[in-house]
Amino acid sequence: MGNTGEGHSSAHERLAQMKSLDEVLDTAMSFEKTAQAFYADLAGKVRKPLRGLVTELAEEEARHFALFEGVRNHADTQAHLQDLIEIPATDHKFSDFVQAPSLGEAPDDQAILQYALGREQAAYEQYSALAEAAPTGPLQNLFRFLADEELRHKGELEKSYYEIVHSGGV
Amino acid sequence: MVNISPKYKGSFLRPLKALSHLFREPVTLPMEPRPAAENYRGFHLNEWAECIGCGTCQEICDNAAIRMVNVPGLPSDPAKGIKPRRPAIDYGRCCWCALCVDICPTGSLALSREYIHVSRDMDTYFILPDEKGMHGLGFEKGWAKNPDSDLLDLDRQPMEELPVESRGDNFDEIVKGFDDQTALIEASRCIQCGMCHEACPANMHAPEYIRAIWDGDKERAVREIYRTNPFPQVCGRVCTHRCETACSIGRRGDPVAIRWLKRYAMDSVEADRIRDIAGEGRVTEPTGRSVAVVGSGPAGLTAAFDLAKRGHAVTVYESKPQAGGMMRYGIPEYRLPYDRLDADIAVIEAMGVEIRCGQAIGSDVSMAELREKNDAVLVATGLGQARSTRVPGTDHPNVASAIVLLDKVTRGEEIDLPGPVVVIGGGNVAFDIARSLARLQKRRDGAVAVTLVALEERDAMLADEEEVIEAQEEGIAVFNGRGPRQVVIEDGAVRGLETVKCLSIFDAEGRFHPMYDEQDVVLHEGAMVVEAIGQAADTGYLGDELTEALEWQRGRIQIAADGRTSVDGLWAAGDLVQGPDVISAIAAGHRVADSIHAQLGAMARA
Amino acid sequence: MRPQNYRPVAHPPSHEYELYFGPNHPGIEGNYAIRVRLKGDVIQEAIADGGYLHRGFEKIMESRLWIQNVALVPRICVPDPVPMEDSYARSVEALGGLEVPERAQWIRVLMLEVSRICAHLFTFGGNAATIGLYTNMFWGVSMRDLFLDIFEEITGARIYHMYITPGGVRRDLPPGILDKLSAVIDELERRAPEFDDLFFDSTVVMNRAAGCGTMTQEQALSWGVTGPNLRACGLPFDLRRDDPYLVYPELDFDIPTETAGDALARMRVRKAEVQQSIRILRQVIARLPSVKGPIRCPLPNPLAWNVPAGEAYARAESSKGELGFFVVSNGGDKPWRVHVRGPSQMHAVQVLENLLTGARIEDIAQIMFSLDACPPEVDR
Repeated sequence: MGNTGEGHSSAHERLAQMKSLDEVLDTAMSFEKTAQAFYADLAGKVRKPLRGLVTELAEEEARHFALFEGVRNHADTQAHLQDLIEIPATDHKFSDFVQAPSLGEAPDDQAILQYALGREQAAYEQYSALAEAAPTGPLQNLFRFLADEELRHKGELEKSYYEIVHSGGV
Repeated sequence: MVNISPKYKGSFLRPLKALSHLFREPVTLPMEPRPAAENYRGFHLNEWAECIGCGTCQEICDNAAIRMVNVPGLPSDPAKGIKPRRPAIDYGRCCWCALCVDICPTGSLALSREYIHVSRDMDTYFILPDEKGMHGLGFEKGWAKNPDSDLLDLDRQPMEELPVESRGDNFDEIVKGFDDQTALIEASRCIQCGMCHEACPANMHAPEYIRAIWDGDKERAVREIYRTNPFPQVCGRVCTHRCETACSIGRRGDPVAIRWLKRYAMDSVEADRIRDIAGEGRVTEPTGRSVAVVGSGPAGLTAAFDLAKRGHAVTVYESKPQAGGMMRYGIPEYRLPYDRLDADIAVIEAMGVEIRCGQAIGSDVSMAELREKNDAVLVATGLGQARSTRVPGTDHPNVASAIVLLDKVTRGEEIDLPGPVVVIGGGNVAFDIARSLARLQKRRDGAVAVTLVALEERDAMLADEEEVIEAQEEGIAVFNGRGPRQVVIEDGAVRGLETVKCLSIFDAEGRFHPMYDEQDVVLHEGAMVVEAIGQAADTGYLGDELTEALEWQRGRIQIAADGRTSVDGLWAAGDLVQGPDVISAIAAGHRVADSIHAQLGAMARA
Repeated sequence: MRPQNYRPVAHPPSHEYELYFGPNHPGIEGNYAIRVRLKGDVIQEAIADGGYLHRGFEKIMESRLWIQNVALVPRICVPDPVPMEDSYARSVEALGGLEVPERAQWIRVLMLEVSRICAHLFTFGGNAATIGLYTNMFWGVSMRDLFLDIFEEITGARIYHMYITPGGVRRDLPPGILDKLSAVIDELERRAPEFDDLFFDSTVVMNRAAGCGTMTQEQALSWGVTGPNLRACGLPFDLRRDDPYLVYPELDFDIPTETAGDALARMRVRKAEVQQSIRILRQVIARLPSVKGPIRCPLPNPLAWNVPAGEAYARAESSKGELGFFVVSNGGDKPWRVHVRGPSQMHAVQVLENLLTGARIEDIAQIMFSLDACPPEVDR
């Protein structure tokens, strides 16, 4: 789901490429970092009714960032930092989200949620694809875990989206 | 000794023939349990999964042998008409008449073919039957539910409606309402279980007013109705009738037409009498306290009615030309005639409520002024802003929102209809605008060209079933299970709406997560697209200061259970803070009125 | 002021004595007493002393919904409950203008006649027991049990069937029940001669029953006697023919009578009636399969059922005589007043008192039983 509406796009051309785990984690962490910074900045701009929502999103991203830090500093990971991983086609879309978006000066709840949903979708697809590509073992488990984490978060956001935007479907 | 005719004289020897019986098989069976007949009436069985705890068995039991017992841990769902209690049987009282079986609305109760229980412990004769039987021996059903002996009337009385050929081009009310005889028969179907009372957000006294209608006492019915609902004319027509969803009779048959019965009671009592009945118990001595209500929808006016009845001075501010909120500017007249809404509002005004229409808060009067001049302020402004799917093309001028158009229909403003219309949405609002536009088209062109596209499948439509059926009768094409992809624009004009097949809307956990088949694309042709997917609150009138002072929850004002906001002296109710329908708003209006009244009382004592 | 039935306790002369007969005497149907004044073995005066079974049926019915009373009425008479259900139902049907479907009427006749046979079998046994012939009682009861099996299959209950409801009956007949009933009737016919050997042709019975408890037709009519007791005095009066109900006009049967008016005549009338009931049942069994259709007319929700105001009396020829329900409705969901005309009311009070006067002490039980008086009918 992009910030262009309630659609999903799933067709991807597979462009294989290799990166080290170190690089992958780097990208992922800046992905989370940018988002956190973006939401934190937005929280200062939106009016109070939306501030809670945006702050929640920022906190969620901060938690993800902390998670990555923990993973990276873990002894098991340290040993694999230079392992090469096949980078899936989703990488391109994922990398787009590393850049902070422009939602205008005063985005409404729908725009924020649509952006957030798009991010979660891209992250989920990226981590799932990395889990596919990674050799069986702790690395694969790590990506599997991250993918699940993003999926769960996306589920929560979709629920909020339905409740807020569709107002229960009235 | 009397002389006996010789013809009668017997012999001493003949009785001795009975000795031959010594060598015969006994007639009576050996002393072991004999299988009971197929429809034997032995100890009770109760399918717990089927039983809803309605207690009708207890009502019909002629010996008071049945008592409903609360069972901890059982599912309880008032909205679906399920109570966590089950019948317990006292075999010291039971006479095995099986009337409980014959009247059971669900068919969960049956009598088994088991009939032996011997114990010196009196407590063992008082049991809570389940599907395994009294001793868990797996005896099968004996006397069970059977259409011949069913005591419930499962068929609803028919409701007369305007036929499609005479309603397609006008806004005349479609439903005619019950006459005396049908209302009486319909009311007699009620078993007074009270499931409806608990399912209703406002806890209306439906069993009581249905019984009053059955007794022929329509004024008593109106009195029972006004205990909890100052919008009975409205609710008698457009309520989402959760009562009927929970109705026990609906388990196997048609639920009692509770909504139409309410309407019948209201239609058959004179307006003056209704006003007098509604005013019974009104406090005529002013309390000297004043309350301002922002918004004249069901929540605001219900609270106003309650507070005025208790002697407070209530002023309602409405930005639109007339009171009623979405009931007037959202619901089309063929479902709810304006004069019926006016009748309800007239009763509320007669209670002493002052309604100031055309007064927009923020521009005509400021929130600060209201709060300063009144002891309490209630905001109940609803969801007045349209939501858009924001798919590409929705910014075109010929893409409109349902509530804006419905507002125009009510005001009698001209609506520019450039050609065929495509409506996005599957709820009641979508059908309201689709059917309204169809009427306007029919009146102008003599033909209907409206398509409605809903994300949900036909059996999961959010709109009421009769809306879907009637819309199709009126010539509206309904497409289910399709999600909007884009509004197709050619040469600056709308050509139609492109949709893709929606495979599923919710994921396994019930969260909104639409999955689409991107290959299955359809273009619904039309010169105009109308979106009816949802609404948002416009809270700009609160002003920056108050907006910052309030606590918010996901874009909505945060309230306590009694409707109190985080700011002193300010309450909020209705769609603005909670959805989703008229009756929920009425319930919220009562809650918030109670809270305000308690607060005003405390102020008086202080 | 004294109540009408007040009788001062007279101190009997020294050669007379008073005896409380019952209420638990094994020779009568329990729970009914007779106070007798005796000189030697001969009864000078008898006073019926009922009330031991009083459960206030008529009053309770006023506090129960119309449908709930279906469960109550059969209890008024244990040995012959079906006429209770039928008369109550017909009185409510008359008030409410309910049409009983034809099939239900045939089923009701089947039930009524089986119930009559059961009641008479019970009475033969009981009557024999009062003069010491206990074997007969066992035989009667065991035969009756075969009919109770039929009841159980049709209604799900052996004694209190609670099966006939205003508007029809509660269930259709189970498959194959008519064949089973046929078999039981055949068995009864096969065994009838054995009953004759043991009872009707027994010298003991002749000597004890003939001339015992005799009344004339005039006496019977003035005392309000009905049913087999009246027919044993030579009057062929039977409600099934003289005030027909259900589908009885379509059935062929005779009305047996005797002229002696004594205990033996009463038992002989009952014996002949069992044969007539068998005849009726055979016609019903032949006819029922071709009578199709519903077994009950639609009834309103029993919790919201107002029966139109008015009064109705429906009567049936029960095994004891004219049984009737007089029901008054004020338009509500319960009867306003119910009166039960139990035939035993007459038989067990004024008739019994009159017949006992002058009789011998050993005949008390026999006279009461030969009248087939059912105490709960007295104590409604």
